[in-house]
Amino acid sequence: MEETAVIRPRRRRLTALPAAPRAACPPLRPAAEGTVARRSGRSTALLLLVVLLLGTTAGLPIGPAAAAAPEGQATWAVHIALAPTWFDPAETSGIITPFMVLYALHDALVKPMPGNAMTPSLAQSWTQSKDGLVYEFVLRKNVRFHDGEVMTAEDVKFSFERYRGASAAMLKSKVAKVEVIDPLRVRFTLKQAWPDFMAFYATPATGAAWIVPKKYVEQVGEEGFKKAPVGAGPYKFVAFKPGVELTLEAFEQYWRKAPSVKTLVLRTIPDESTRLAALKRGEVDVAYSITGPLAEEVKRGPGLKLVPTYFTFTTWLVFPDQWDPKSPWHDQRVRLAANLAIDRAGINSAVYLGLSKLSYSFIPQGMEYYWAPPPYPYDPKRAKQLMAEAGYPNGFESGDLTGDTIYGVAIGEPVVNYLQQIGIRLRLRPMERVAFFKEYGEKRLRGVIFSGSGAPGNAPTRFEQYAVTGGRYTYGSYPDIDGLYTEQVNEMNPRARQQILNKLQQLVHDKAMFGPVIEPAFLNGVGPRLEVHGLGLIANHAYSAPYEDLRLRRP
Amino acid sequence: MKQYIAKRVGYALISLVLLSVTIFLLVRLTGDPTVLLVEPGASQADMDAIRRQFGLDQSLWVQYARFVTSLVRGDLGHSFYYRTPVLDLYLSRLPHSLLLAVAAMTFSLVIGIPTGIIAAVRVNRWWDSAGKVFALLGLSLPSFWVGLLLILFFSVYLGWLPSSGSGSLAHLLMPAFALGWYFAAAHMRLTRSSMLDVLGSEYVKLARLKGLPEALVISKHAFKNALIPVLTLAGINLVIMVNVAVVVETVFAWPGIGRLLYEGIAFRDFPVVQATVILNGAMVVIVSLLVDILYAVIDPRIRLTR
Repeated sequence: MEETAVIRPRRRRLTALPAAPRAACPPLRPAAEGTVARRSGRSTALLLLVVLLLGTTAGLPIGPAAAAAPEGQATWAVHIALAPTWFDPAETSGIITPFMVLYALHDALVKPMPGNAMTPSLAQSWTQSKDGLVYEFVLRKNVRFHDGEVMTAEDVKFSFERYRGASAAMLKSKVAKVEVIDPLRVRFTLKQAWPDFMAFYATPATGAAWIVPKKYVEQVGEEGFKKAPVGAGPYKFVAFKPGVELTLEAFEQYWRKAPSVKTLVLRTIPDESTRLAALKRGEVDVAYSITGPLAEEVKRGPGLKLVPTYFTFTTWLVFPDQWDPKSPWHDQRVRLAANLAIDRAGINSAVYLGLSKLSYSFIPQGMEYYWAPPPYPYDPKRAKQLMAEAGYPNGFESGDLTGDTIYGVAIGEPVVNYLQQIGIRLRLRPMERVAFFKEYGEKRLRGVIFSGSGAPGNAPTRFEQYAVTGGRYTYGSYPDIDGLYTEQVNEMNPRARQQILNKLQQLVHDKAMFGPVIEPAFLNGVGPRLEVHGLGLIANHAYSAPYEDLRLRRP
Repeated sequence: MKQYIAKRVGYALISLVLLSVTIFLLVRLTGDPTVLLVEPGASQADMDAIRRQFGLDQSLWVQYARFVTSLVRGDLGHSFYYRTPVLDLYLSRLPHSLLLAVAAMTFSLVIGIPTGIIAAVRVNRWWDSAGKVFALLGLSLPSFWVGLLLILFFSVYLGWLPSSGSGSLAHLLMPAFALGWYFAAAHMRLTRSSMLDVLGSEYVKLARLKGLPEALVISKHAFKNALIPVLTLAGINLVIMVNVAVVVETVFAWPGIGRLLYEGIAFRDFPVVQATVILNGAMVVIVSLLVDILYAVIDPRIRLTR
């Protein structure tokens, strides 16, 4: 193994908490400490008492008060059926939803946390050899699973080998061996240098770094583990009714800190209006996925808050005919005109109450290696001019704008209207989701496609699927884009790789290869009981987390 | 009689076999569930792995053979979405569906029969018109809309009832009303027309001529006979309620079979959809079989003419 670079954990920062709870309790200023030193013993004792009480109120880890027993219950109205497969990190399927549960029940060696997309958690540090072949993780001491067993390197090795979820085959094909050096050190040796190892191992792209107790899994078996999961996360499993309700209880021995809320309940309420009613009645504290007029209702509701979260999800138009020399879309000016004709801010305001992010790239803004392109201004006049220059002063018929029935309609409909204004005549063709992705993947769609993806990964993984030759949803590409993509694949220097990827994204932008529209916000309603609701604390995570940071408002 | 029953059982089995083939093929026509189990943009390798895991990479014949073999053994397969045995899921939801159906049926009979009787006794008068309006609304208002209005009024504005979920009588009231109103209207209409028939019959006229009090004529002579078709329909409706509660269960987050079916369809969870449709279908087939047999026992003309 060559010389290594040590990655150390950042200190836990209180800035991760939203401003409101901190404002509720005056911060402890250094000036106050100086004052304490000059006071009499009695005054000092009194002040210390006040400080301790205030610290407790704010949830700051000061003295024994910070270890106060968890109390109360927080309830979520979840928009999707809860599945036992989410209790097992080995079955993470590449969607963000299971992490709603994983952040409570389990913990990972390294995972996204507030302020840091790769926060050492069960690993207190890791090293990477200069040749990029060896990664060594030093584990945190005395971390216990919910059954009381101490976590060791054997559990890490077992969890990796057991992992069978998204990208499992690809991840394992790159790893030559996993060795247990000692109970607190584990070493991964790659077959060849792979710059994306941590991007796949230590982010929601996979669940391979989430650790399960080897002894327990072997004892109860795979089915048994799903029925009564044991992890190293801040909450223990209590009860589950499939598709209905999950109940969790605080695990006070959690290494990071003891949770403040004793019981968490995740309750599936499929209907959006019913979720809102439950929130208004105070039956739940957070209602996920509230959209359109109902979101307006949350904004108006007394004591309710509308909180947007974002994950690596974005939407864009695909012009599949741009590689056909006979098609108007072959002309870059037409594609640019389409981009200038869309009033993204207008769509955002109408559909998402202005809470989504405007998009100018098919790479989401929160994704690793994202390059911020210059925005396309809403300029229908210039768009019409470009259409005339391209030889289409009266526009042209372009067939269908095909999209799925959710985003394809909500965003696709205004897009059709905006393009119509510069003479690009399209018919909106909403398709059922499964049929849409089938036809999209089989390259059978023409006209304009309304595309979107929330798949985890990084900018290169998006290129691989949508913009380079051979991609699952790639309808065509350009030699310079293919060339640069191949160049970055084995580039181990992050800075050099970033430069190549910047160039790649600039090429996509210059060619107006796509028509990015919007990064839709995930809108949620929050009730008055939760002082810290956890939404938006972790970048690119749609749900409440970290759960141990949640706090109920005190009466 | 034995021959008649054997024939009916044979028809029932053929119906179930046809149902299993139809549902097996129909769910597969709706597309590839893999698309819904991963994010759009997932790699081909991941999608292939999921197809392999669920046996979707096999030919249709192989999949059907496996499905039938498992079915014969009483194994309805594992849910793609929940990754648990479908039978366990079904059985965990069945008591909730039955409870809701019984509550909705009780409501529909308690409301439908008296209003039907009153409408028949006071025919073409105010009560009859009110009953007709009640029936018209019950039959025409979509249950999801009724459900949302109930939530808005009783949960949000008045705060009397929980908006969703299960576990107490309070949870049951609104879904039972939303599901039961349609059936209450149907029962009211049938009771009314049945009562009108009976009230016009000779023996009721005779009872009146004999000078019996009107209340006695209605309750003892007319009502008992008018009730037979209503109760026959109610028996069949009880099974139908279990099957059609999809929308009501979804709106009220009621953990029944209807919601399970809805989730199965939404996620293209083939084993869940197959099992739910087959088991619900079996319920309907068995009830129909029992009705056929009972009719044959009661009325010998039926078994002789068929």
